[in-house]
Amino acid sequence: MSETSNPQLRARDDIVLKVEHLVVTFDVGRELVQAVSDVSFDIARGETLGLVGESGCGKSTVGRAIMQLPPPKGGKVIFKGQDITQLEGEALRKTRTALQMIFQDPISSLNPRRRVKDIIAEGLQIWERPNQRARVEEVMEAVGLDPETAADRRPHQFSGGQCQRICIARSLALDPDVLICDEPVSALDVSVQAQILNLLEDMKARYQLTMVFVAHNLAVVKHISDRVAVMYLGKLCEIGSVDAVYQHPSHPYTQALLASIPELETSQEDAIPLLQGDIPSPMNPPSGCRFRTRCPKAQAICAQQEPAMQASPSGIGDHFVACHFPG
Amino acid sequence: MTDSQQQTQQLPLLRVEDLTVRLRGEAGIVHAVSDVSFQLQRGQTLGIVGESGSGKSVMARALMGLLPRRATQQLDGQVSLAVDGKVLELLKLSEREFRTLRGPRLAMVFQDPMTALNPVLTLGVQIAEPLQLHLGLNKAQAMARALELLAQVGIPDPEGRLRQYPHQLSGGMRQRVVIAIALACDPQVLLADEPTTALDVTVQRQVLDLLLALQRERQMGMVLITHDLGVVANRADHIAVMYAGRIVEYAPTSRLFSAMRHPYTEALFKSVPRLSDPSHTRLHAIPGRPPQLIDPAPGCAFAPRCPNAQQRCRRETPALTQAGDEHLHACFYPIGIKEVGA
Repeated sequence: MSETSNPQLRARDDIVLKVEHLVVTFDVGRELVQAVSDVSFDIARGETLGLVGESGCGKSTVGRAIMQLPPPKGGKVIFKGQDITQLEGEALRKTRTALQMIFQDPISSLNPRRRVKDIIAEGLQIWERPNQRARVEEVMEAVGLDPETAADRRPHQFSGGQCQRICIARSLALDPDVLICDEPVSALDVSVQAQILNLLEDMKARYQLTMVFVAHNLAVVKHISDRVAVMYLGKLCEIGSVDAVYQHPSHPYTQALLASIPELETSQEDAIPLLQGDIPSPMNPPSGCRFRTRCPKAQAICAQQEPAMQASPSGIGDHFVACHFPG
Repeated sequence: MTDSQQQTQQLPLLRVEDLTVRLRGEAGIVHAVSDVSFQLQRGQTLGIVGESGSGKSVMARALMGLLPRRATQQLDGQVSLAVDGKVLELLKLSEREFRTLRGPRLAMVFQDPMTALNPVLTLGVQIAEPLQLHLGLNKAQAMARALELLAQVGIPDPEGRLRQYPHQLSGGMRQRVVIAIALACDPQVLLADEPTTALDVTVQRQVLDLLLALQRERQMGMVLITHDLGVVANRADHIAVMYAGRIVEYAPTSRLFSAMRHPYTEALFKSVPRLSDPSHTRLHAIPGRPPQLIDPAPGCAFAPRCPNAQQRCRRETPALTQAGDEHLHACFYPIGIKEVGA
């Protein structure tokens, strides 16, 4: 497969994380599935990039590949100027302290046998950081857990929302530059979701974080992100600022996604036609544009040629779309 | 309402009165459903909205007679189903009698279409089973009807699908099959418990639109249970909001959204992230979390999280009271008429 050009990568000197031509494959029996296929984007210091798409689009795999969990099959992950796909062992582990991750299910990502303070302190102990106790108390307070009462308890004594706070505290203990959040609120009740989203915004400001926020819920992503990347079947469809992507969606898939969301105020009469059918299997993706089998605009060329990333007709800066018939 | 008035009114299809369910849990008795009452008319959709632990799914199972027998410590109240001009009291039926109702009278669509289908039987066999059992069709007739049903729920190439197994279908297609099975015997009441929660958003709308179209076409009464206000906003005729096992507010859908009275309804409504809000808008989070339903404290269950709570709320449990035409709420200090959204 030939690599496409990447006009969506920005020439800025405050880029913290850059992903270039990322490819992740999985063995499925005798076959290979390309879960992420030639994806490129960048994130500037202090930005939150929302990564959205439906199940199987590869958004979580991108998040994990940035962490080298597992290392991607191809492409580069450049963190502060260094390609971390080339790092191994100690050097990789050390670099990775600056990249932290929180997951969808907060309860299963905490060891049920350990105390909260030990869970949060583990990274500090491994790297022999000074003032561990004070640091644990500081991050616990920051996420809204009372160190007095919570430090000696174990995860099962907390609700899902509280467990996600513990996970966030653990991820912050080593003072990371980048926080990767993989569906951090989708397992939580609506009333608790809002607490955690507000908390993530607070933590981002307090600890000067750069964030990758992976989620399927477009409204949630809009609330927290500065830029948004839309994925479909392992490919990047569209990327741009929140305003560009939500106000002027240029890819037919982005348009359909936005139209599908059950909203409280919208009426049933939507101009955009509903998508037909389901997402094809990633084992055998459609030729050309992968969205063409469900796309209302698809023409012959869409089956023959994969669309390249190009500036969106919206005219908004840094807004790019991979479609033969955007707009 | 006097007796004479009641008689002149049309008999409701389904009438639930003071339904109370207590279950035995590992940590104690769970007050899963308390004093739930509502009515469902033919051709109407009732949306039931609540977070996890609000009792909405236990309530649905109680209506279907599917509560785990051993774990049920208490099942009280009345569930009346109008069948051919007669009224059946569902909670008084034996398991055998109940079995004849599931399918032709009451049917249910569950959240997870993977576990709702049998992985080792073809789809045709699974759809034909209730037809043979309840309607007495022979195998050939049942298969022919199964084919029609698959076509009705929008499955392409229904003939080929009849011979396939659940794992050969995507999640959205599987849920369509579950719906086809539920509709096979032409039920009067369809309970859909989070029917689209396990599905992707572009597929979710297809399935919801399908359910609603079938409900209208067949004039079924439908109970649509969800945690997502957005799912019922444009689809239900009435909405009941549940919290901690109780209905805290009930109203026609448009009235609920324009004039909500219960502080929990409003808090839930405000805590949902909206597409219409600009980026980085601060969300209105509800402090704390839903209560445990084991040995609940006296008073209103929402009081510890409620901005309007007063002394009285911690002592007494507010009953559902009339707040206008068809509008009920259970709150001592309801919020004023507010124009939200619009």
